[in-house]
Amino acid sequence: MHGLNVLLKKIIRSGTGCSRYMMAMTGLSFAIILMLTAVQLQADYRDLLYSKNNRDSVANFLVINKTITDQNLGAAGLTESEIKDLQNQAYVESVGLLTPSRFKASIQSASDRFPFYTDIAFESVPKEFIDITAKDWTWNENAMFIPIIAPNMFLDFYNFQFSFSQNLPQLTQQVVKMIVFKVNVYGPKGMVTFNGRVVGFSDRISSLLVPEEFMNWGNTVFGKKQDLKPSRVIIKTRDAGNPQLTAYLKGKNLSTDADKTRFSKYRRVVDIVVSISGVTGIILFSFALLVFTLFIQLTVASSREDIRLLITLGTSPSQLRGFLFLRFLPGTLVIILLSFCMVGIIQFLLYTQLTNQGIFLSRLPDITTVLAALLIAGVIWMVTGFSIKKCMKEPLELRGHR
Amino acid sequence: MKILLDHIIPTPLKDRFSQNGSAIWNTSVQFTQGEYIKIKAPSGTGKTTLVHILYQIRHDYEGKIVLDDRPATAITGDALALLRQKQVSIIFQDLRLFPQLTARENIELKRVMQQPFYESSVIHEMAAELGIEKILDQEAGLCSYGEQQRIAIIRSLMQPFEWLIMDEPFSHLDIENTKKAAALIARECRKRDAGFIITDLDEDSHFTYSRQLHL
Repeated sequence: MHGLNVLLKKIIRSGTGCSRYMMAMTGLSFAIILMLTAVQLQADYRDLLYSKNNRDSVANFLVINKTITDQNLGAAGLTESEIKDLQNQAYVESVGLLTPSRFKASIQSASDRFPFYTDIAFESVPKEFIDITAKDWTWNENAMFIPIIAPNMFLDFYNFQFSFSQNLPQLTQQVVKMIVFKVNVYGPKGMVTFNGRVVGFSDRISSLLVPEEFMNWGNTVFGKKQDLKPSRVIIKTRDAGNPQLTAYLKGKNLSTDADKTRFSKYRRVVDIVVSISGVTGIILFSFALLVFTLFIQLTVASSREDIRLLITLGTSPSQLRGFLFLRFLPGTLVIILLSFCMVGIIQFLLYTQLTNQGIFLSRLPDITTVLAALLIAGVIWMVTGFSIKKCMKEPLELRGHR
Repeated sequence: MKILLDHIIPTPLKDRFSQNGSAIWNTSVQFTQGEYIKIKAPSGTGKTTLVHILYQIRHDYEGKIVLDDRPATAITGDALALLRQKQVSIIFQDLRLFPQLTARENIELKRVMQQPFYESSVIHEMAAELGIEKILDQEAGLCSYGEQQRIAIIRSLMQPFEWLIMDEPFSHLDIENTKKAAALIARECRKRDAGFIITDLDEDSHFTYSRQLHL
């Protein structure tokens, strides 16, 4: 068979010359690189959003409330159906209600050495929405103190503004956690004082959090109004930058920390760039395949008489098809391999560049890129086979004539 | 392999042959493997047409051809190629060589088209026997017609076969070279227990024929 193919190679020459072949191959290379890059970019993007290395705990939790307007002043609560609807969105993993305290409260220092006093309000959320694990995060009526989680920005506000203006010392998180202070709660029967202590700092929710147990108990015992609609909810989402989520919130007149959803703009841009790259790749691929099949057809057409004679002498159609297949396919496989390597190099460069900026990508191409390359190889294999079969038909049909 | 020709009439020659007392056309004739058949006819009576019909590169005829028990028309594609690789070999009157290949490559092509019947060294032996060993590496298109005819003869003997079909195979050879070629062909047929069908214009004594038929 090897000897036969050597002779067939001499007989069936590419009558159309090298330039057309090179043109088809160059086009094919660009197309494949574009398509694989599109797939790899999409994979990288997915990796950035969902991988553990990059997962930004802040961005995945959003506190949502109604946008306050002149029309809904004083009635900006979320209805049950609105919360349910939010829960039903595909990109929302879970929804937790933020319960505000319905009683007046204040905190003050326990000793006169470090005097402070302020009125305050609390909120509580289900445990799974809290980003710190404090072993003390529970409360009952016999507890020694009320654990409190404070927003980091409160401490920042104190350390970088308040302390300077009041000539007070700056405080570390550890120091703050050691301070026990008084929590005064005012109910219908007068004021009740508890001990309180900050057990952690959070970036997620910008209010003073207390355990749900305390909140429920406090609202029952000291609360002024019952059954108020929740005014804020916290959602857990896999992708805070999802443009659908941003659009949904906008449509429902809901607002959240815009800083956390700003990514959706970039996401849209990346989506568009990836789509353009992918679509251009597919169009270029289609044209390159067309030129490639034309090249096969031209080769067969220009050797038509020789192919007829080969068949007359006893060369089987399958031998000829096999020869043509071997003639055209390896080149395209090399092209796919080279294109894949090129995407691999780009990926590695991206990896080294972005790692310096604290963004962690895989240094190797993604499995979906490998699958895409295999898919492209499959498509080329099929098109080549089909094209050879089709253009071999004519010399075969004419075998009965001289 | 038995070849049965059952009332074959080539369509283009239909009117001319229906009246004629031909031993082939419009009659039933069977060739048994191992027979040496000579078909004699003057020019223009359809010798080449018969060869092409037998080799199945023409299908414009009435009647049917049966190879063993298979109708020839049922053998197509790869099966037809297999028949031409292993059971039926041919020497065309118009030789049909690839002019861009050397003489050796033309012969080699038929040797390697199937499981080789001979070692490649046999090409040189046969070429020497027919006096063309010096032009083996010359492009076939540059060879003389007599040389090309001998290349075509050696090419046809490179494969296994049960039948060798020859269409005026010595038309461009002198008596001496014809004798050598006929001796080689006869020897190769005996080696394979094969028969042949040869067409020619005149009487000859190149072979010991089993049958001589007039077209």
